[in-house]
Amino acid sequence: MAKRIIKFKLNGEDIETICQDNITMVDFLRKDMHLTGTKRGCEEGECGACTILLDGRAVDSCLMLAAEADGHEITTIEGVRRGGQLHPIQQEFIDKWALQCGFCTPGMIMSALSLLNENPHPTEHEIRDAISGNLCRCTGYAKIVEAIDAAAEKLAKEVAE
Amino acid sequence: MATEQQKYYADIKNVYKKPEEYTLAGKGNAYVRIDAEAKVTGNAIYTDDVYLPDTWYCKLVHSPYAHAIIKSIDFTEALKVPGVKATLTGADFPEGHNLGNPEAFKELADKEPLCRKKVRMEGDEVAAVCATTEEAATEAARLVKVEYEPLPVILDPFDAMKVDAEPIHYPPDQPGTASNLSIFTVMHAGDPDKAFEEADYTDEHYYKTQEIVHSAIEPHGAIAKYENGEWTVWTTTQGAYVSRYWIAWGLGVPESRVRVIKPMVGGGFGGKLDVFAHELCPCKFSQMTGHPVKCILKRDEVFKCTRTRHPISFKIESAFTKEGKLLAKRCTHILDGGAYGGSGIAANTLSLICATFPYKVENIDMVARRPYTNHPASGAMRGYSACQVHFAHEIHMDEAANDLGIDPLELRHINQITPYYTGPTGLEFTSCRFKECLDAVADYIDWEHRDRYPFGSGEAIGISGSGFMSGTGFPVLVTPHYCSSATMVRLNREGYAVVFSGANDIGQGCDTVMTMIVAEELGLNMDEVKLIQSDTTTTPWDAGSFGSRVTFLAGNACRRAVGDAKWKLLSSWAEEWGCKPQDIKMEDHRVFLPGDSEKNISYNEACFGYEEKNFGKCVAGVGSFCHEGDKDIYVKNVGNYATAYSFSASGAKVKVDMETGQIELEDFVFGHDCGRPLNIRAVEGQIEGSVLLGYGFSCYEECQYDENGKHLNPSFRDYRFPTALDMPKMKTIICSEYDEEGPMGAKEAGEGSTAPVGSAIGNAINYATGLTMRELPITPERIWRALREHEKTGKTAFGAEDLKEKFAAMPPLPQRYDV
Repeated sequence: MAKRIIKFKLNGEDIETICQDNITMVDFLRKDMHLTGTKRGCEEGECGACTILLDGRAVDSCLMLAAEADGHEITTIEGVRRGGQLHPIQQEFIDKWALQCGFCTPGMIMSALSLLNENPHPTEHEIRDAISGNLCRCTGYAKIVEAIDAAAEKLAKEVAE
Repeated sequence: MATEQQKYYADIKNVYKKPEEYTLAGKGNAYVRIDAEAKVTGNAIYTDDVYLPDTWYCKLVHSPYAHAIIKSIDFTEALKVPGVKATLTGADFPEGHNLGNPEAFKELADKEPLCRKKVRMEGDEVAAVCATTEEAATEAARLVKVEYEPLPVILDPFDAMKVDAEPIHYPPDQPGTASNLSIFTVMHAGDPDKAFEEADYTDEHYYKTQEIVHSAIEPHGAIAKYENGEWTVWTTTQGAYVSRYWIAWGLGVPESRVRVIKPMVGGGFGGKLDVFAHELCPCKFSQMTGHPVKCILKRDEVFKCTRTRHPISFKIESAFTKEGKLLAKRCTHILDGGAYGGSGIAANTLSLICATFPYKVENIDMVARRPYTNHPASGAMRGYSACQVHFAHEIHMDEAANDLGIDPLELRHINQITPYYTGPTGLEFTSCRFKECLDAVADYIDWEHRDRYPFGSGEAIGISGSGFMSGTGFPVLVTPHYCSSATMVRLNREGYAVVFSGANDIGQGCDTVMTMIVAEELGLNMDEVKLIQSDTTTTPWDAGSFGSRVTFLAGNACRRAVGDAKWKLLSSWAEEWGCKPQDIKMEDHRVFLPGDSEKNISYNEACFGYEEKNFGKCVAGVGSFCHEGDKDIYVKNVGNYATAYSFSASGAKVKVDMETGQIELEDFVFGHDCGRPLNIRAVEGQIEGSVLLGYGFSCYEECQYDENGKHLNPSFRDYRFPTALDMPKMKTIICSEYDEEGPMGAKEAGEGSTAPVGSAIGNAINYATGLTMRELPITPERIWRALREHEKTGKTAFGAEDLKEKFAAMPPLPQRYDV
């Protein structure tokens, strides 16, 4: 299989590497970059477990080729922490018990991050809409919505300060 | 009367903390899940995240036919793919070593690791290939040429039972009786015939539920390595010990040569209880190649080749007095077993037991049959049999109430199970807050003023009730004294404790529960208790996550283990201090005699002192929990099934668009009797997840097949379950009391909470539309069609309409079991 060199930013670091032409982003992240926080749930763009940020916006990494990252900025769940500190969204997921099996959690957090990047004061409906592409079989979404709402408030306060 | 087991552990009970001393159990947000940080950072390791050096990949070859003879398998083209290293067929596994689930029913194990001569469902595994990359393995699996001779496909369980039906596994041994029975079960008590004769009111109704899948977001998979003659298998299992048993059996090797480790599991819901080809084949390949071998299923493989919820066809007859007392029930449950048994063979018994509560009924005559068909194998699914049974029986309850002219809430109250009631077949209920659950739900949803939504107005509320076993005693494998779980706890003089628990956290949070129980009893912080979990080499026996058993059974085993350690430590210090062990308290990292400031040392000093006295021997405790019963319960349905039972009630407010049939679930309230909740948010999380499963079950989900048994919707695109936009507002009301036998007073919250969801929604839809929908799923399309037909013909009841004839035409059961 043909290969190519790609240059992109991954979780804030400049990367220059070789990837297979036909490898999907999720497989590239997991197998080549050893970033296993991005999950494979359906590999056809339905479950959202593999959600990452492409230039700050949520995308399904199973529907994207690694080669498409060339010249762009990719953020995965491993890049959400702020140094040694958890991001407020991560902290709220913990505090609100907004996870059970945790398999959808990285994708949920990436969708939440994408939402709050664009819309710092979302309504409940906007939160639900933003995560409607992320399937969760455990929680019924209630505590996830609560956690994202609380994180939005926390982040808004940070901005105000 | 105390049981032998309670007497055995009586000393230990003396040093347990009293509820008023708890600082963690039930204390709101006193702690968080121990796995939460790993899960929000992406650091949590699930099976597919286990990467061992030089791992090779396995892919399975599946049958495109639902029923066929395998004529030949040709690997020629597959072997030409660069990187392909090895292949497997059924002949590579020992013949007769079929996979099943309960060890006691090993003769019913019917699934070959890879099919040898015959396939029985679309997706049945016939061969496997191993390659250096996942891509090469996938390509090679596609190129394996299998020649089949198709056989007649049987998809309807009633067709499967016809006397002349094509045998899926074996022909019936008594001509003229039902064919293709995987198992059947009867339950009988009192004199139902007499009760029916004397009743003021009798009825006969039919209901039907559909096939759905667990849809855990993590697909099934395994990675195996072979070293020093031993296999180590990391797998997506709900029960590491049970997996080890069947993997060893399937390979034909002693259990001592197999180690199963359960990493994080991304949801199970019953779908990860059985043992599969994707676990056996990597084991075989790792032995053949010397490499670790991984096999992770694709989503369509999960749909087709793992397990589903049993579709059930119901015939229910009931007899009431005119005042509403339920005198008798006769029912027949036909469970579509699909192609195999496995965990599915418990479904019959559970369906019958569930049909006897949450209402008192002294006279019963019930039969459940589980015929094989060429559908995917049915198995355990959260709210095992209870979701289907409580759908049918609770829709029926409203039908009976309306016929009797009694308020459906009142009819439930008249017949509700009360504390310490013993059922006619010996089910021993203990704590029970069913009445309180019903009242709380009715109050929240304003049942009293339900007339504010006129019948057929497109808007209505509905209620429902249910019960579930809080900890099925069935240990799956044959164990001493029916032991269901064992735990070890070690106290460390450096200021912490280690708990070795075999309990299998599949997302529900039992790792946190076990940690909390130990921290609570020892007066330590949560992060001072280290948990070693579900690994057959390092942790003691546990039966697995099923039957809502983990908190109650493994939780009790864990509490006894920490109690044993605590008893030893405190007995030693009691001797020193001239008091009784139970006088000494362990709180906030201190060990002390209240009121005596001289006798107050740190946890570390207490452990050090104990070791000083005992030549360096550390403080260690062992605990277990056994089911007090007889395995006849699983055959004859006589006796008690669980140590406690949970009860639930739910209420739904729906709006139905009478033009389009579109359903909007606006509000959902759940009253649950889970004993003393160990963590309110964890219980709420279980209930909110249950509402999603129940809503999906009642209005969204259904596996569909063409006439050849080909799965038509094996993807989340075509098989939809509720998203965040679809879920209603939810309210959880915990209506419970301290259960005497529960760990820190707790009962279950995981499975019982799924049972009354579909029926509350169904009842609400029925009042909203003015129709009676007796078949799931109740989709907008079905409502739309029913409303149109109602307009034309005046017909009011829809669904399961073919069943009366089918039940009447059923061939008899074989003589030897028939009653």
